[in-house]
Amino acid sequence: MIRISDLSVHFGGVVALDNITVDIKDDIVGVIGPNGAGKTTLVNVLSGFVLPDSGTVDVEGVDLLSLAPHKRARWGLARSFQKVQTADNLTVADNIWVSLDTSASPGMKKHAALNRVLDYVGLADMADVPAHKLNPCQRRMTELARCLVASPRIVLLDEPGGGLSEMEVDKLRQVIGNIKTIFGAQVLLIDHDVELIKSVCSKTMVLDFGELIAFGPTETVLQDENVKAAYLGTEIKV
Amino acid sequence: MDVISHFRQESRTYAALGFVAICVIVLPVVIDSIWVKVLTSAVIFTLAAYGISLLYSQLGLVNLSQVALIGVGGWIMLRLNYAVQLPFELNLLVSAVITAFIGMILALPAMRMKGLYLALITLMVAGGFQIIFSAIQFPNGGAGFLGVALQSPGEMRRPLIAESDTAYLRYSIIVVVLGVMLAAAHNRGRPGRAWAMIRKSEANAMAAGVNVTLYKLWCFTLSGFLAGVSGGLLAGALKILDAKSFPAGESILLFALSIVGGVGHWMGAVIAGFLYRVVPAIFNNIGIDADLSLVIFGAALLHAIMTAPNGIAGQLSSLFQSLGRQNK
Repeated sequence: MIRISDLSVHFGGVVALDNITVDIKDDIVGVIGPNGAGKTTLVNVLSGFVLPDSGTVDVEGVDLLSLAPHKRARWGLARSFQKVQTADNLTVADNIWVSLDTSASPGMKKHAALNRVLDYVGLADMADVPAHKLNPCQRRMTELARCLVASPRIVLLDEPGGGLSEMEVDKLRQVIGNIKTIFGAQVLLIDHDVELIKSVCSKTMVLDFGELIAFGPTETVLQDENVKAAYLGTEIKV
Repeated sequence: MDVISHFRQESRTYAALGFVAICVIVLPVVIDSIWVKVLTSAVIFTLAAYGISLLYSQLGLVNLSQVALIGVGGWIMLRLNYAVQLPFELNLLVSAVITAFIGMILALPAMRMKGLYLALITLMVAGGFQIIFSAIQFPNGGAGFLGVALQSPGEMRRPLIAESDTAYLRYSIIVVVLGVMLAAAHNRGRPGRAWAMIRKSEANAMAAGVNVTLYKLWCFTLSGFLAGVSGGLLAGALKILDAKSFPAGESILLFALSIVGGVGHWMGAVIAGFLYRVVPAIFNNIGIDADLSLVIFGAALLHAIMTAPNGIAGQLSSLFQSLGRQNK
């Protein structure tokens, strides 16, 4: 369980996150909100790239905020970025090996783990292809495989569906949907694609101007009037 | 790995082995004694250039203090030679390790910088060493810690198996090949993967669990180690080193030639070593002012930056590839 308490982040005069308090227990939880709502800031705080002004993040008794970013990764926190980040001069397998180098638990069978994750994301026959030859979807899958290979505890996905075609999002949906069953990790999924969120997230939290305006079962949250207003604005009657 | 890339890999390995075999067996026999000395020096600078190339190709970091570090390696090698009666190889190893350590210490403040600022810091380090070398000179067997005498009372020993100049050229080639193989093994293994990830994005590398500071330091240290080996070999080749031979400007020149040769490929470092040492010697030999080579290097650098980002080695490699395709 991820327990976030009183988390606040300010960038100068801008309140990026405003006293967020939430307990995340479910397997796959969505994070939605309009642009600038603080979704990526939340992921950056959890992964250690932004230091919060106040608040705590506790995961299974571990004070996450006390760890350096690379130590969080080794502890079992994996994340992807909005802009896909694969090292172009490395092969698909080597891109994934980076995580095995750093985060594999002692005694883990690394080659078996690599083959399993390549199979899982559908890149089994592309292990030796250099990343610069991949299409955007294959790059995204390589990044996801890197996140999953070392059996993480938490996976943070920052708009993994961005720029993918409908068919590719279908594939992504399957990959994200089965993470908990196959790899045992809890997933926090940020995306603008409400259909994707609806199909894989049991619960969803909604941020707007740094505030948590709703958190609950995805269907209920999406019907919430406050959420609709945050996305679409409110009608002004004259 | 598919069959074609496996074949390419194999043919590249054979090409490298063939090149080294020609250098070790044929070259020392066919050239006269002056050119043996010039080639030895070129071979030695090849290794230092490979260190520059490693930092630039793997992490995109500019190191303008490599020639100063060669001087450091040479100074320690000479100092050890006159202080202890240990085998050449052991002295060489100790010199390289200490130089690597010094390189690492100097890299510490540079860890948070990139690009022009890092280049400036490394250039200042090179300038600092230039002053230190002028002040303390290189040991030549004199008394005291600095070991400097007006006339050298001792002699720099060479390895027992490589006392003659020709044998020392062969010896240097083999040591340089071992050094390049050490760096290549790094590139292919865990550090190489971490470096590639850092070069793509430091944030991404951290998110994948890579200790960015450690791996950057590691690369600087390895590059310093290669410079230290070069310095030690140079001390053995020349037997006496001159403080004027290691000015900061030389580091810039070696860096520029590494770019012209082509970073990220061993052949690029070989070309850099050749340009740095052999081309001026050829000019001298045919009666042209050796400084003219600087004009040519400048033009070559402009050419490399504008049209050949992978340097001459990259151009040769694509030429061979296209020839290979035509012959199919």
